[in-house]
Amino acid sequence: MHDRILYRLTWLALVMSLGHHLDHLIRGNAVGWPVTEEVNAFTASLVVYPIIATGLVLYHAGRVGPGFWALVSGGGAVFVGAVHFGPAAVEPPELILDHYDPPILGWLAFGWLVVFVTVLAITCLYETRLWASQRRARHATRPVDAEVGR
Amino acid sequence: MTATTPPPAAGGGRPVVRPRPAVPATARGVGGAVLLVGTRVGLWLGVQLGLAGLLILVGAAATGGQALGEVAGWWMVYVGLVDLGTLGVIFWLLRRDGGSYRDLLGPPTTAWQVAVGALGVLAASVPAVVFSAELTSALYGDGAIAPMFAIVDLPPWASVVSVVVVPLLAELAEPVAFLGLILPRLERRLGRPWLAATIVVLVWAGEHALYPLLVSGGGLDWEFAAYRVGSVLPFLAAWTAAWYALGRRLLPVMAARWVFNAGTALALALGLVQ
Repeated sequence: MHDRILYRLTWLALVMSLGHHLDHLIRGNAVGWPVTEEVNAFTASLVVYPIIATGLVLYHAGRVGPGFWALVSGGGAVFVGAVHFGPAAVEPPELILDHYDPPILGWLAFGWLVVFVTVLAITCLYETRLWASQRRARHATRPVDAEVGR
Repeated sequence: MTATTPPPAAGGGRPVVRPRPAVPATARGVGGAVLLVGTRVGLWLGVQLGLAGLLILVGAAATGGQALGEVAGWWMVYVGLVDLGTLGVIFWLLRRDGGSYRDLLGPPTTAWQVAVGALGVLAASVPAVVFSAELTSALYGDGAIAPMFAIVDLPPWASVVSVVVVPLLAELAEPVAFLGLILPRLERRLGRPWLAATIVVLVWAGEHALYPLLVSGGGLDWEFAAYRVGSVLPFLAAWTAAWYALGRRLLPVMAARWVFNAGTALALALGLVQ
């Protein structure tokens, strides 16, 4: 069965991701291939779109469940968090805050990033809980299935 | 018709008129939420102004501003008084409206669910930490300590209270009040969880403007009050979202907040925040 909240959270994360990539393009100070020649974290981050598209198709077909999405959201949160907030961040907040005029736009873009990473982390929490509850439900129904099969 | 549907009343088929409670349950629910917020606001102001007045009376401070400044240094201790008052109102409401304190904590949660959930909540708080740090740097200079931590000035015994007792009281009172009690009542009344959650987060954040009350240039430091609200807003939004994501289980949120708040108090007590 497909979870409507999971779908909504996935679409929300997708919109937040697109907005953040748009921020990269507007600033122009942390972009890579295909915008420039350099292959960097920006380039690597673009892989999320085929992953989400494939995931949506497979989830709709019932081939993957909330566990897959928990890994995608959690992985995304860790990647974006490490790139922007980690101790060895390649793109620290100053690269966003100090590259907009007026500065309020920088705070808007930075606030968007903060909300984006939070959404990914919260989505991962939700999907993990869903995953755990589905596993519990499967285990609970397994003896009944065996009984029916006998 | 279900088996539990009452039969039509005799005499013209008029519907049975059931006796109505004196106060509708939803109205009583929101009234309780307003009472709780009002009590906290009153306590924040009352405790600080009361202590400042006391300092002036005993001659420990010459002016209101000086007295408020002295009191502000103790905010990590007097938070406990406000939370004790909050707990008092929570239990009074529970006795009046029915239910138990355990009910406010959400569905049953095993120890490992609390542990894993708390880790998730802490991870979800990282962006808020970064945002708050950037806001502090932007307003008070690079590497500056947030003013509410810079002003803390406690003797050793009070530091122990601020590390051991106050964070525990805060978790038993604050998230239980806002997420366990106020938010569900507001959801019932408004019928829109997102609107209720937005209002609760804004009110919860707004309350932070009241403590500690700092004085600047002969009046209240409104810039600090605004900073306080802005810096805490992403934390409260993240914790409220986490509460929903965890199926309205409050214990993981409480555990994560306790780690966060007690850790901050410990770092301050040990002088690790310079």
